[in-house]
Amino acid sequence: MAKSMLIVSRHSPWSGLGAREALDIALAGGAFELPIGMLFLDDGVFQLLPGQQPAALEQKDLAANLQALPLFGVEDLYVCRQSLRLRGLDGQPLALPATPLEGPELADLFDRYDLVITL
Amino acid sequence: MKFAIALFAPPHAPSSRRALRFAEAVLAGGHEINRLFFYQDGVHNASGNVVTPQDEPDLPAQWRAFVERHKLDAVVCIAAALRRGVLDAQEAQRYGRTAIAVTPPWELSGLGQLHEAAQQADRLVCFGGV
Amino acid sequence: MTTLHLLSQSPFTSPLDSTLRPLGVRDGLLLCGDACHALQPGSAPLELLEHLPASVAVHALEEDLQARNLTAPERVQVVDYPGFVELCTRYDKVNSWL
Repeated sequence: MAKSMLIVSRHSPWSGLGAREALDIALAGGAFELPIGMLFLDDGVFQLLPGQQPAALEQKDLAANLQALPLFGVEDLYVCRQSLRLRGLDGQPLALPATPLEGPELADLFDRYDLVITL
Repeated sequence: MKFAIALFAPPHAPSSRRALRFAEAVLAGGHEINRLFFYQDGVHNASGNVVTPQDEPDLPAQWRAFVERHKLDAVVCIAAALRRGVLDAQEAQRYGRTAIAVTPPWELSGLGQLHEAAQQADRLVCFGGV
Repeated sequence: MTTLHLLSQSPFTSPLDSTLRPLGVRDGLLLCGDACHALQPGSAPLELLEHLPASVAVHALEEDLQARNLTAPERVQVVDYPGFVELCTRYDKVNSWL
């Protein structure tokens, strides 16, 4: 049976390659039909803000690639509620259907996966 | 145990040296390394073009010696490498670039190799950040 | 599944509370690099670490303590590289906070 992998994405979308290269690991895993989950934590939660305009920075649309996650079989998406709260985003609509988790639930989440990569 | 080791930081980062010392200890402890995977800025550790001052540890040279001595499977993520100008002969020709940075034992390949190594190993240990 | 969390960033630039949020009661921590500054006497990160449940084993990499002239408090176990490898085998998986 395939090992499950949780990818923890902590970088904001427009701070370099961190967000994109974390997503690439998730998409590659999905393409190989591996059980992959993704957790958005710290500034990673900014990736989920709707209505962003990457063209203003001459950047590719990360949100479009994030939307591809379910198409690659990556549907287990989570977001740290405390990270949202600290950034004034708790309760706001998110661009992706990510399940908000509190501290102890994060510990449970980590427990459930065989592998974790944090970027 | 079988270890897959991934490195995301460049040669001058403390975590590159730390990853190498860890890898050495893995083998010295009687364990195996099924793959080394270099991603993000870690691709620079595979570059033959890095010139380290004489009075500093030459991490790219040390990594190369380690891989060669133990005949390890050493993979560099091709997408990450291209962005960072760390090309092998084939990619340099493909894109019309002058510098060849990656030569055997390093091999440019995809993220699938990271996943495969992680699936087959008993432990995946990543190094990066600082 | 238990996790060994590897920390290598200074707790003053990369606050510990995010890292400690998913910490399970049987998980372990290994401080390397600038994360060893969390052992700075009189600091808030040290206080945070000392208040972790006793079931969470905290370790620090010897070379990083030496380089920074830091001493490990009693609850922190100092390890060398062979010890680092052994820790990785003791926990079910390893997560590096990058």
